[in-house]
Amino acid sequence: MSWLAVPRDILASFGDIMKFFWAVIKEVAEGSAVRFFGETLRQAGILIIGSALVIWGMAFILGLTCGVNGAYFARSIGSPQIGGSFSAICDLREILPLAFGYMMSAKVGTGLVAEIGAMRISDEIDALEVMGISSLAFLCSTRLLGAWIVLPFMYIAAVGAGFVGSYLAVVQQVSEVSSGGYFLIFWAYQNPPDLLFSLIKGMSMATVIVLVGLYYGYTASGGPVGVGAATAKSMVLNTVAVHFLSMIGTMVFWGANPRAPIGG
Amino acid sequence: MGGAVDRAYLPVKNALEQVGDLMILTGKTLISAVRPPFPYGTEFVQQFYFLLKLCWFPLIVSMVTLSYGAPGLQAGNFLEIFGALDRLGGFFVLAVIRNFAPFVTAVILAGVGGTAICADLGARKIREELDALQVLGVDPIKNLVVPRFLALMVVTALFNGFAILAGLFGGVLATLTFGAPLGPFFSTLLSNATTTDLWGSLLETAIFGAIIAIVCCYKGMTASGGAEGVGRAVNQAVVISMLGVFAFNYVFIQTLLATHPEISVVK
Repeated sequence: MSWLAVPRDILASFGDIMKFFWAVIKEVAEGSAVRFFGETLRQAGILIIGSALVIWGMAFILGLTCGVNGAYFARSIGSPQIGGSFSAICDLREILPLAFGYMMSAKVGTGLVAEIGAMRISDEIDALEVMGISSLAFLCSTRLLGAWIVLPFMYIAAVGAGFVGSYLAVVQQVSEVSSGGYFLIFWAYQNPPDLLFSLIKGMSMATVIVLVGLYYGYTASGGPVGVGAATAKSMVLNTVAVHFLSMIGTMVFWGANPRAPIGG
Repeated sequence: MGGAVDRAYLPVKNALEQVGDLMILTGKTLISAVRPPFPYGTEFVQQFYFLLKLCWFPLIVSMVTLSYGAPGLQAGNFLEIFGALDRLGGFFVLAVIRNFAPFVTAVILAGVGGTAICADLGARKIREELDALQVLGVDPIKNLVVPRFLALMVVTALFNGFAILAGLFGGVLATLTFGAPLGPFFSTLLSNATTTDLWGSLLETAIFGAIIAIVCCYKGMTASGGAEGVGRAVNQAVVISMLGVFAFNYVFIQTLLATHPEISVVK
């Protein structure tokens, strides 16, 4: 029976995680987070002050990388002026959702595990329950709603940071195309639905990351050492989930339709 | 007035101090890695095995899904408009060997391996085991940091090879999704791939491993007490190592492309 133990454990913990996800989402849907709206706004503020700059920085660096690759790729096929098409597609559709997912799981996901896990092992969550406040509503649903309020705007600003990075790399650094020529191609290869699809991709990653962080923090045990171990474990699930959701998003939104201004 | 200056000055001073500490730790690690005696053999093998066991599954899953989605479907759709799907293999040199395989290897090794190392060292720090080692006359840098540093460097570079294989498997899946034959995929892949790409990719990931190891060991060994201590250390370690790795990646890929023009010629 021992060879069945590993998959059975994985399935069991997956079920636990899904049950927890459902409980938190139900709390938000029933309006528990709105009852603690002050706390929701405070969590949203913490997210802006603590994480915005790091996420934009990551998006900027990956925008630069994408731009450099696009510029050299366009040169290699003999038409450096189409560098904008590569960076438009690479940035908006693939790299920026990934950059957002990586940095969300590194900064926000592990941060939530450390914070809520510390509350769990110093029995603050039990104290909350004793005082008659539902900990799921007060700690978890407020953080999820706060993330939903702030992150769409943060994501779109991150897209902007990535675009600036690509522009700097293609036009100012490699500089084989004029600024006007770059933007002509760059804007031709994207339209508002693409931004919306990219936003949906990024937000589904962000939702899963916040919920995973809350789960591992909420169920932490074993003292400060246990919190550290739970923080490390949350990253395993987060990185796999980010790549998996990225693939699903690409398949659903662009899988059957390249959405490129070529041909009839 | 004084408060405002302090608020701006203290975080900057703190950050600069940490950068200096990281540099000192890097220097000490490099020196004690090459200066005899070499007591870290067993620990090196243990860490190597530990990282291998922890990271292989997330790495393979992430790499196949990512390269099926991003370069496979996205670029494949694009090339299919031109009726040039056979060129997908050539594009995979740029996409997987040069970029996504090092990316994903770095993210998995930092997120899965580095965090585990940081949590382990942090646990030893707050249980005061590190202090106990020093009292016994055992140098924690030589016996704990050096084996992890070497193991992460070797494992990251080796995993890059597996990431490339998994990535190419994603490309094969994408080609099959379009109902195209596999022969042209491999033919353009092999005619465009160069040795420079491969050693560039391996060198890059080995340096990624060094960055991750130094940051995660430093954050683990300086974890401070309190219930939040180790968790906070892991959080900072993974943020700093990812930012460091991707910033280094930009500089490296830029230098590689600019100094080796022959690798960006379509054949």
